[in-house]
Amino acid sequence: MWSNIWSKFSGLYRALEEEQCQVLADPGYLESIKPGYRRRMAARLAAMPPLERARLLAFCVKYRGRPLWIKLMQIVMVSSLCALLAYGLFPQLGLITLLVVANVIGAGLVVFMLLVYFSHSMMFGKPVHLVIFMMMCASVGGIAGAAGGAAEKGFTFLQAMEQKWAVIIAATFAAGLLIAIPVTLMGAIRNRQYKKFNATLELEAERHRAAHELSESRLRLLHAQIEPHFLFNTLGAVQQLAEKGAPDAARLTASLIAFLRASLAEMRSEHVTLGADFALLEAYLQVMKARLGARLDYTLDLPQDLFQVTIPSMMLLTLVENAIKHGIEPSLQGGRIEVAAVAGAARLQLTVRDSGPGLGSAHGSPPGSGHGLANVRARLNLLYGDAATLTVDDGEECGVVAVLALPLNRETT
Amino acid sequence: MNTTVLIAEDEPLMRERLLEMLATAWPEARIVKVAENGNDAWDGFLEHEPQVVFLDIRMPGLSGLEVAERIGKSAHVVFVTAYDQYAVDAFDSGAVDYLLKPVQAERLDKALTRLRQRLAAPPADMGDLLRHPRSALPGRAPERLKWIKASAGKQIRLIDVQDVLFFQSDTKYTRVVLADSEALVKIALKDLLGGLDGERFWQIHRGTVVNVTAVAAVERIDAERMEVIVRGSTERLPVSRTFTHLFRD
Repeated sequence: MWSNIWSKFSGLYRALEEEQCQVLADPGYLESIKPGYRRRMAARLAAMPPLERARLLAFCVKYRGRPLWIKLMQIVMVSSLCALLAYGLFPQLGLITLLVVANVIGAGLVVFMLLVYFSHSMMFGKPVHLVIFMMMCASVGGIAGAAGGAAEKGFTFLQAMEQKWAVIIAATFAAGLLIAIPVTLMGAIRNRQYKKFNATLELEAERHRAAHELSESRLRLLHAQIEPHFLFNTLGAVQQLAEKGAPDAARLTASLIAFLRASLAEMRSEHVTLGADFALLEAYLQVMKARLGARLDYTLDLPQDLFQVTIPSMMLLTLVENAIKHGIEPSLQGGRIEVAAVAGAARLQLTVRDSGPGLGSAHGSPPGSGHGLANVRARLNLLYGDAATLTVDDGEECGVVAVLALPLNRETT
Repeated sequence: MNTTVLIAEDEPLMRERLLEMLATAWPEARIVKVAENGNDAWDGFLEHEPQVVFLDIRMPGLSGLEVAERIGKSAHVVFVTAYDQYAVDAFDSGAVDYLLKPVQAERLDKALTRLRQRLAAPPADMGDLLRHPRSALPGRAPERLKWIKASAGKQIRLIDVQDVLFFQSDTKYTRVVLADSEALVKIALKDLLGGLDGERFWQIHRGTVVNVTAVAAVERIDAERMEVIVRGSTERLPVSRTFTHLFRD
């Protein structure tokens, strides 16, 4: 009969353990657990931060079955040994009292150490609470120990309290400290580790964000190339010119090839020289000019000495595309786009100006809020922090002026 | 009688292409107007009342969808677009066909076959086109005019749009008539239209837009013709045939 109960109990325990490991490995498993105390326990595990959950899982897997029992026996033995030593020094305290107290301290120490180790971020936010909680636990242990000791010597509990209150308080306090000091130390060490780890994570996250924004830029450029209105209208224009036998057909094709080539090259690098970037803009604007005819006029102004200056790739094109999309295409008469680079001693200023209807226009979403500009801003922020800015404003007379200001970088990469 | 056709396309080469292809594939069609933007397309439609219109969807000014909506059931509409995102909806709403740019000869032939079959029947009504939620062009909530700037000598007068009784086209200018005065602004009526609230300002003629709240009465002249009498003005404004439905039950 006992073996029956035992196998039932151990079966239940094993199932619970299995279930908790499953939840630690995959919090989604929580959904498949029936509501009840087991679900509530599992929910707490599932709510842990992923990294701590992974560590706890590794620990659980390591101390499963036999290793766990061996460890528990070791703890009991060490605690009991301490109790025997203490009995040798203070026989008047009673062996059973000491055994109980030592085991309570030992078990408490282990439990707290584990708690702090695995969820210090939750526990260590309030170290004072932790210490008070541990003292309270120690008091309960101390009182229990005193009760045990009293029973052993034939006193009632109250009598024992009356005679030994000072000893009990001192013992409780000592026991609390015995647990609190190592636990607090452990917490402090873990917290430092955690902070260091967090800093690494943040750095990595920053790197990830930069990579993300860069690939976002690439995706946008890729999208701009195959954007149906751009692609099909351009191909239609090429086809029309070719069918007429117009020499412009070859020229437009050449511009389209130059644009696609240059944009592929830009996509591959995070930075480009202004010379290369302006060549890309030129190719793009030539294509648009062939399509829009008299409705588009443009100028590109890049001083000779700035050709080798590097800037983040794909940004100017985004601004020029915006100018076409919001400034020229919706305008009945068309308009003009001016792109210029100006350098001071340490700063570079790039301006894209259009003569369109301006920011308040009805056409399209306001240019200041587009995804393209958000992407440019995010990349600038990651690359230069506050040292680079993008401002988009209404022009003095008409249209929109986008100004990209950033530190001047004359080194070629 | 040859079928009259209007073409609206903003890119010169695509315009040229469509014209040449139509000349080859449908020589008996008579192109009455080639519009370079949506406003011209609508104005040209009112001027020439063509039977068939080819509309690019993305154009400056009114979009092709907006022009089709205004045309309603007065012409057969074929959309021309680089991307079928809106065209499919437009097609569902009664367009004869839609052509993807760049238009290819075989595809145009197919569309023309469909079109010729439909020509005998009255056109489908495109008036509800933009009420179809999916058809709306993204981010193009039309901006309403609040003020009209009219220069009078050295002064610039600001006119509250709500105070205007009616607008009358005067070639490249527009006459703005108020209860106590009037002004001439240097903007064509067709380009002013998009900025006016269509609920309040009704176009009743190619050259006339009237403030509905100022309309005192509408008088029937004969079976086809009507005239609007405006409160605070002695002028009588003719309603063209395209717009008489506005005043019928």
